[in-house]
Amino acid sequence: MRYRCFALLIVLAVSVPAAAQAPPAAAKSTTSAKWVVPRTPDGKPDLQGIWSYATLTPLERPAEFAGKEFLSEQEAIAYEQRRLKEDNRDRRDGSAEADVTRAYNEFWWDRGTKVVVTRRTSLVVDPPDGKIPPLTPDAQERAAARAEARRLHPADGPEDRPLAERCILFGNGGAPMLPTAYNNNAQFFQTRDHVVIVNEMVHDVRIIPLDGRPPLNKNIKLWLGDSRGHWEGDTLVVETANFNDKANFRGSGENLRLTERFTRVAQDTLLYEFTVDDPTSFTRPWKVELPLWKNPELMYEYACHEGNSGMAGVLAGFRKEEADNAARK
Amino acid sequence: MKAPIVVAVLLISAMPVIGQSPAYKAPRTADGKPNLNGIWQAFNEANWDIEPHAAAAGALALTGAIGATPPGMGVVEGDAIPYQPAALEKKRANYKNRQALDPEAKCYLPGVPRATYMPQPFQIVQSSTAILFAYQYAAAVRTIFLTDPGPAPADSWMGWSVGKWDGDTLVVDAKSFNDQTWFDRAGNFHSDALHVVERYTPASPDHLLYEATIEDPKVFTRPWKISMPLYRRVEKNARLMEFKCVEFAEELIYGQLRKQSSNK
Repeated sequence: MRYRCFALLIVLAVSVPAAAQAPPAAAKSTTSAKWVVPRTPDGKPDLQGIWSYATLTPLERPAEFAGKEFLSEQEAIAYEQRRLKEDNRDRRDGSAEADVTRAYNEFWWDRGTKVVVTRRTSLVVDPPDGKIPPLTPDAQERAAARAEARRLHPADGPEDRPLAERCILFGNGGAPMLPTAYNNNAQFFQTRDHVVIVNEMVHDVRIIPLDGRPPLNKNIKLWLGDSRGHWEGDTLVVETANFNDKANFRGSGENLRLTERFTRVAQDTLLYEFTVDDPTSFTRPWKVELPLWKNPELMYEYACHEGNSGMAGVLAGFRKEEADNAARK
Repeated sequence: MKAPIVVAVLLISAMPVIGQSPAYKAPRTADGKPNLNGIWQAFNEANWDIEPHAAAAGALALTGAIGATPPGMGVVEGDAIPYQPAALEKKRANYKNRQALDPEAKCYLPGVPRATYMPQPFQIVQSSTAILFAYQYAAAVRTIFLTDPGPAPADSWMGWSVGKWDGDTLVVDAKSFNDQTWFDRAGNFHSDALHVVERYTPASPDHLLYEATIEDPKVFTRPWKISMPLYRRVEKNARLMEFKCVEFAEELIYGQLRKQSSNK
């Protein structure tokens, strides 16, 4: 779902309530007095529809904004313009090598065109410096072991390749959701006893029961974890555990406990917050705040594995290189 | 004098529509629609072969009786699929090479109607604005639009589905499929001209009647129909689990590209 229409951008910019542009502490209380949260026939806040989490705001605070939590309106515009220019992969003003790194050109990228409506300088809001806390020694060892395995066996078989290249899991699919190159969209469905989040990235679906059922047996580990939801006032709270040890969210392990909060703060804004708690991987819990914006376009099937001729090409390339090296000896 | 009119109206509205289960009226959702929410599963041998078939050895001798084909009475109305002659040849060739060609073996999206009767459950998530079909196999999903969004921008594995209510029956019109999916493990196939009209009719608190009319002028001589009951998974802890099967298919798809000297 690429975002081509400039007119649409203007409509979106206008329809985001002014209050949502203020720091989030004020966002909930000062949202336009006329707006009330729409509700499902069951009386719960209606979170349904297609929400995008594409944004130019970086996960961690860049050095240039050290000590600065929010951008002014002018700074935000300047930052957006600079990022759009610098990140543009249709540019051909670099070396041949630069051209190769831009082979995935703008046709592929759907990174958004704006910073988050709060104009925060990073998606990480805690720790206050906007940085993911350091890994524990145990998590550092695991990361080092993975790096060593990649160095020794870069492509002996498909399982040596990154999860995204295998079409198993992407950094944005979740849980949790975070923007990456493309497919930064999720559709929410609600029934009386379930909330279901379908992610455009590899059509991952999270079926979240709200009926208070007990957690899954701890021996069953899942790529997307096992989620339970409940309402706290008008906020949907989703707690997820039972991740497998391969999903590895920013260095996490199977002890990851994720708490996500979804609050519809405006017609076009779904405030998404999540806390990452994994004492065996991070030296302290950390929190992300990412306002999602209502996407008026549809979501489409992303049949990644079915079209994965890239994997065959990567493996064949390594085999060719090995054969050439052997022939030279 | 008004009473007889009321009675007449009641009688008419209570008369069953053809294709509906006459005796059963489904419970309603909060917005008054028949409630199809739940986890459902076919309980038959259609995924091995939608036509009537005797038991047979599996495609891989090494899997022994575990991989054998269980016998089934078939789900095709009139038993035989009305293939055009050349298409029937292709079906036979598919069957011979099914171990290598069956998209299910490769963990590819199952298409429609096969997704419905794979030996794994699926969940209907019925909100007031759209209906989601989430299938356990390969984490396949389909959104059923209740407002027609217009034609699909491209063909896809799971197609483009628009739904409407016909009494208590959810009718789904599905098209814009690619030509990559099969109907079963026996090599029954279709082209990109496939058009499927599905009917999901509540028949009791715990089962639905599933009917699908299949049309594909490039492959068949006429439209044909399958039908079967779908059963609710009534276990207290029933849930759709995770079957992300790419990992399980990598050796089959990429095994010949593996580093041979690897001692991993």
